[in-house]
Order: sequence, then structure tokens, then C-alpha cells
Amino acid sequence: MIELIHLTKEFKKPIRGKGLSGMIKTLFSRKYEVIEAVKDVSFTINEGEIVGYIGSNGAGKSTTIKMMCGILTPTKGKVLIDGVEPYLKRKQVAPKIGVVFGQKTQLWWDIPLIESFKVLKEIYQISDEDYEERLHFLFEVLSIDKFLSQPVRTLSLGQRMRADLAASLLHNPQILFLDEPTIGLDVLAKQKIREAIKLMNAKYKTTVILTTHDMNDIEDLCSSVVMIEKGSIIYDGPLINIKHKFGNIKTLVLSVDPQLNLDDVAKFKGNIEIKKEEDRVEIRFDADKVKLENVINYAFATLKATDMKVNDISIETVVKKILSEQEKSK
Amino acid sequence: MLKRYKPFLRANAMDLLAYRFNMIVWLLVTLLQAATLVFLWVSVYRSAPGGIDAVINGFTYKEVIVYTVFTTIFTFVTFNSETLWLINSDIRKGTIGNYLIKPISYRGKFIASSLGGYLTMMVMFGLPLFTISYVVFGLVGFIAIPTWYDLVFHVFLFLIGQTLAVLLNDVISYIFGLLCFYTSSGWGLNQLRATLISFLSGTLLPLAFFPPVFKTIVNLLPFAGLSQNPVLILLMKYDYLMSLKVLGLALGWLIILELFAKLLFRHAIKKITVQGG
Repeated sequence: MIELIHLTKEFKKPIRGKGLSGMIKTLFSRKYEVIEAVKDVSFTINEGEIVGYIGSNGAGKSTTIKMMCGILTPTKGKVLIDGVEPYLKRKQVAPKIGVVFGQKTQLWWDIPLIESFKVLKEIYQISDEDYEERLHFLFEVLSIDKFLSQPVRTLSLGQRMRADLAASLLHNPQILFLDEPTIGLDVLAKQKIREAIKLMNAKYKTTVILTTHDMNDIEDLCSSVVMIEKGSIIYDGPLINIKHKFGNIKTLVLSVDPQLNLDDVAKFKGNIEIKKEEDRVEIRFDADKVKLENVINYAFATLKATDMKVNDISIETVVKKILSEQEKSK
Repeated sequence: MLKRYKPFLRANAMDLLAYRFNMIVWLLVTLLQAATLVFLWVSVYRSAPGGIDAVINGFTYKEVIVYTVFTTIFTFVTFNSETLWLINSDIRKGTIGNYLIKPISYRGKFIASSLGGYLTMMVMFGLPLFTISYVVFGLVGFIAIPTWYDLVFHVFLFLIGQTLAVLLNDVISYIFGLLCFYTSSGWGLNQLRATLISFLSGTLLPLAFFPPVFKTIVNLLPFAGLSQNPVLILLMKYDYLMSLKVLGLALGWLIILELFAKLLFRHAIKKITVQGG
């Protein structure tokens, strides 16, 4: 079980003056600006859960994850993993957790992947049988066996991410922290990563904490969601609630004739939102209430669109909506 | 527990073996420097008031030459700690997090890889070079031929001294590395470290050549244990009692510095700001 209790992390950032005189001034007097990356965050994650930890860029997700796995020490409050603070008892907590940072590899850059695995086997003191069994399982779900003998630096991003995920699972951690594990991956590669996470969770009851910018990751994997914005939690609960709130919102972006007059064409009443900027029209609608087909037909027949793109709702939109709703309820 | 560090012991050894050509070039450069020093010493003794056979600060010219050659080999084999650079790059690239989430201590990883590097260098270069130098200097009469048991004991004490020197050198490197948490100028810190060590460890010249008060102080610092003392044990300039004394001093310093490093790490680690990613 993971508990976060009034967790706060402040960073001190020196304020630098501008130009040469400013630089000289900062040599003698240093002023600091305190940035609260995470403010009074509390939540609990139970064993075997897959939790999506979401928020826009710079909201404090990574900072929280880094405190949970013991890299950063909180300014105030604490993290408890099975009752132990990870940044105080690193060696005690380390065997229980696996971590993947999507933007940085943890594998040794210059040595073949399999050698990295062997090093991890020794560091975590994994027995031969366990190692073989797990390697076999990971080969199957992540199909990494094809590039095992290549140095990590020669792997593609998708391969590297799968390799990183495999490396974090070798010692069969009870808790898996995934910080943007699907960043920059194509749809197929994302699919593979998700499948592996699901299988791992089903087979070993691994608790998973996942940050991502892809709503599909969340829908596919997570039963509950914690949402953070500017360092504070704005939502903590089951995914279903969010889905109810937002329905299945999609955005259609169209290219149209700039002369088109939108006033004549609004016919979906309320269930749809249309915005126009020169030759660009954005239609936002709930795909559970209005059929996508109808909207597309309307776009081509009535609006005479020349090009079109369908977007799923983004995390930023969800965050914005939740924030504005909270404003209203105040 | 210690098994967890085996990969780091091996990794540095493998690196050194992989770059053995570099090491050989580096060795030639080092030997060239030693040769220059030898010529310098010869001319110093020639122009001394007592002539070439003068005894300056307890050293004859033969002893100084032997000392110079042996410290050169010694530093080449012993000072291979890359700890400062690795910490510096761990901080800059943010890779320090990769180690903090593993069930090993950050300090232990560096000790293991320094020892691995030392063992490799000792087998690859140290043993042959020390043996050749000892035999050659013995044949030309620069080293008095000792009894076999004196030789065995002194070699044994020397190896202890050398191991302590590796650990001392690494902990000093580690402490300077941790300072990179506070200032981001790893290069400057390394210059400071390298200058302190080459000056105060007796690598440039035996500490006996320093002025009296300064000499006494420097002899009590940890740096003397880095190269002067082990070499003087091997060359039998120290008797057994003196040898044990300097080894004890080195061990004492090692413990003090490791404790200090531990406290410093505890403080420094709170300063990490692995932003983004």
C-alpha cells in the first residue's frame, strides 16, 4: 500500500539578473525564488490497483513520482510504502519497486541489452530460476528477444521503452512506477506496452502508478485516477466518474471556405459546440449522444469541408473542465 | 550483500581492458615524465655542495631516482578513480536517480568499481613494472638486496598500504564529487583535487624536501598515505614500526573521511533537483 500524507516539495531557484551587470550582482547576492512543485498532496493507493496519475505538463507528476520512489526528499509531509519512507530507507524499499522514466533510459547505454539484464540480476540478487522464468514471460509479452544482443544505444524508441519496462520488471516488484511510458510511441508500440502492464498486473498483482498524456492509456488501463494541477490534487476517484462527466467527447477539426457563414448551419442544438477561425472550424461533441457519422456527413455536406481530423479529448481539456467546474461550485 | 556490487567491480575492469591501448600510450607518457624528473634530480645532486654523493634530506641521488620511478608506477596503477567525473555526470544528466532506486549504496558502487580498476591495473601493469624496476635497480646497485623475509613482509605491508591508498583516493574523489551538488563546476573541483594530491602526497617530490614545520603537518594529513608512504614501505625506507604507524594513520583517515562523506551525502542528496522527465 502506498500512502501520501500532506506531501509538499519546494524547489529553490536562484533569481538571475539580466545582462552582464545582473550576472555580476548575482555573484555577490543570491536571491531565491521558491517554487512549490507539489503542494499538500494526499492520497492512498491499494495493492493491485492500476492508478492513472494525470495532469498537464509541469503539474508536478514527475516530482511526486520521484518522491514516491525515493529519489527526491519531500520538503514537508511524507510518502509511506508499506509503512516505510522510501527516501530514508532506500535499500529497503528498492527491491519492492520498479521504475520506468519514459524520457530517460535506465539501461547501460553501451552494453548489449542482455548484459544490462545480467547486471540487474546481480544487483537485485535474483535467483537463476526466477530470472529464467521472468525473462521468458517478458520475452513473450514484450517480444524483446529479437534485439537482446544489441547495445541499448542502437535500439529504436519503441524497443528501448519495452526494454526499459522489462528491466524494471525483472525483480518482480510489487509496485511499478511508470512515468510516461508511452511518450513518443506509435499506436502499435503503445498497445504492446499496455498489454504487458495488464498481464503483469493480472499475473503478479503488481500495483501500477502511471502518468501519461494519452487519455487512451488511462481508459485502457486504469480503474482509478488522480489528477494534479499546479501541484495540487483536483480529482481523486474512479475513472467512471470522469467518463460520466465528460462523456465521450471528440473534436473534429475541419478546413473550410473562409467565406462560410456559420450562423446558418447550427442544427445540432446544444449537443455540439462549433468554433470558427478563418478557414478552420472546430466541432466539439459527445460521441455517445451524437453519432460521429452524422457529424461527419454534416461537415462534408453542409460545411463543404475540404479536410478533416478527429481528435479524442486531451488531458488538458479534462483538467480545464474540472477546474472551471470547481470554480463554479465555489 | 556484497555480491550486489560484483557487476561494478567487473565493469571498470572490463573498461580498462577494452581501452588497454589507451593505457599503454598513457603509460609511455608517464614514463617520459618520470625520465625528465630523473634527469632533473641528477642535475640537482650534481650541483649540490657535496657533489653527486651528497645526502639531501636523508636521500642519496640513487634513492631519489628509485623513489621517483616507483611513485610514477604507483600513481599510474593506483589513481584510477573516475568517481568525481561519474558523480558530476550523474548530477548533470540526472542519471543519479537510476542508482538511488536500486538496492545498492551509491558509495559502495564507487568503491567496488575503484577496486576493480585497481586489481586490473595491478595485474596488467603494476606487477610486471614493479618487478622489472626492482630487479634492474637491484642489479645496478641502486637498491640494496634485502633478505627474502624482509622483502616478503615489506611487499605484504606495501600491498595493504596500496589498497588503503586506492580507498583514500576514491573517498577524496567522492567527497569532491559530492561538492558538485552545490556548485556545478566539476572541472574546477577536479583541478583542485588533482593539485592537492600531486603536491601533498609526495608524488612530485618526497615530503622530506618540504620545510620542517610544513613537513610535519603534511605528514599527518591523509595525502601522505596516497603515494609517499606505501612507496617508502616498499623501498624499506621505513622500518616495521614506522610502516605500521603510517598504515594506522591511513586507516584512521580513511574511516574519518568515509564518515564525513556519509554525512555530506545525506545533506547533498536533499539538494537533488532532477527536473522534468
